Amino acid sequence: MEVEGVTNIAHASPGSAEPYRRHILGLPLQRSLFGLTAEAATTIGLPGLSSELDFPARLDENGDLFLDRSQVAALTNALPAWFTPETLELIHTTHTAACDALVNASESAARVGASLDGAARKLSEDLANRMALVLAFGILTKFVPDVLLRALADAGDVEPPPFPEKSAGAELMQNTFALYQACCALNYAPQRLQHEWPRVSPEVFHLVSEFCNRQTGFGPLAWDSSGYEDPNYVVRLLHSAFDEVDAEQVRRRLSFAQRPPVTRSTDGVPAKIVALRRVLGFWLDFLERETWYARRAFYVGMVPLLQQLAAGYRQKIPAFQPADLLFLDIRELVAGIADPAVIDMRRHRYLENTEYLSLHGVDASRLASMLRSS
Amino acid sequence: MSAQNSTIVYAGLAAAPGRASGKAYVIRNVEDIMAVPAGSILVIRILHPHLAPLLPRVAGLVVEEGAILQHATTLARECGIPAAVGIRDACSLFQDGELLEVDGYTGEVTAKHVD
Repeated sequence: MEVEGVTNIAHASPGSAEPYRRHILGLPLQRSLFGLTAEAATTIGLPGLSSELDFPARLDENGDLFLDRSQVAALTNALPAWFTPETLELIHTTHTAACDALVNASESAARVGASLDGAARKLSEDLANRMALVLAFGILTKFVPDVLLRALADAGDVEPPPFPEKSAGAELMQNTFALYQACCALNYAPQRLQHEWPRVSPEVFHLVSEFCNRQTGFGPLAWDSSGYEDPNYVVRLLHSAFDEVDAEQVRRRLSFAQRPPVTRSTDGVPAKIVALRRVLGFWLDFLERETWYARRAFYVGMVPLLQQLAAGYRQKIPAFQPADLLFLDIRELVAGIADPAVIDMRRHRYLENTEYLSLHGVDASRLASMLRSS
Repeated sequence: MSAQNSTIVYAGLAAAPGRASGKAYVIRNVEDIMAVPAGSILVIRILHPHLAPLLPRVAGLVVEEGAILQHATTLARECGIPAAVGIRDACSLFQDGELLEVDGYTGEVTAKHVD
């Protein structure tokens, strides 16, 4: 097994003026969740992550992500000695529990709703804390899988990395192709669908809407950039993906769906290798879903709560709009603090960042429309 | 990197096996994903999973992101699309329409300049 270095973080340095990624997040509400990740990370239990100061990532006011190379090095050096079957099982349990808890919290926030502001704030806080924990794992995916892969090589494993047999992206690919075929069967080829949307037949409208509900969560990391929760985005994507494409070629490319799952025997394989492969397999699967978890939590769980909270604010400030809440810090949201002057100042600064808006395809109507998607 | 007869070879990491050639299509912002030409070589900073439905229409994949364990590797392997990752500054190096060859066995990307 060949192991490549963690070259993607090689250029991140402590105190460097050069960010690891530029303009990744623009909305103050989403940016503020990153402020919670360092605290959340201390609950993960990895060696070298015992305080908030150990967490190697930070986000600045411009939404630029910085990684501290010395902290990454400290973590990557501390991890291998800690990899025993028992501790690997512990990290696996913590990781899966964090993901499951966020999914459950998202669905229950959507189901339960909250008729009282206090309850909505409590649910928002709970959801935010769960998102922060999954985000912390998301930051760790920038280097932990490589450390696991190296540990596997050091332990004598010669098998290829345990990539998912069917990744989240592959499932999305299949489901999107199925939607394309279903629309075509109803005489709506991508071009017609895009041209006539949303004035299409009720069957097609229902198909696309249902697809969006199921696939909500897939999309860019930045919530303000459109994703699969938005039918307009999906209709345009169908056109881009399948217009004038050879359907047979697409089927060939999707043939992984017919492949039987590969189950390798673990007889005679050292327990450490079995444990490392299991944990790495989960991290690689998580890598494909990390954005989905938080984005779905926002659109399915948080948006209904924001709508509820905005209704409360409107009783005190008649001009208050749900999108105003996107310019609060999560702690302000939970505490019920909303100063219209501060919101205006932050909104102005956000809208001034034309490079960010262009990169993420955010137009003037997007903020209002994203809070209607749920 | 070596230059010879208007051909430049860029070394990256071999992410998904196979060889492909075609015209480069560079994704620079989210709007660019709505117009990916069929049979192109997709050049992108990071291939996020939500872009997976675009993969069946492209011939090959070139990614800036440096590590072998990433979305692009997983998706390209699943779809059987040759891919090279870790081509630093690929989105700046290549222009739309430029002829590229992707070697998914070696991780090399060859840019052929037509004089």
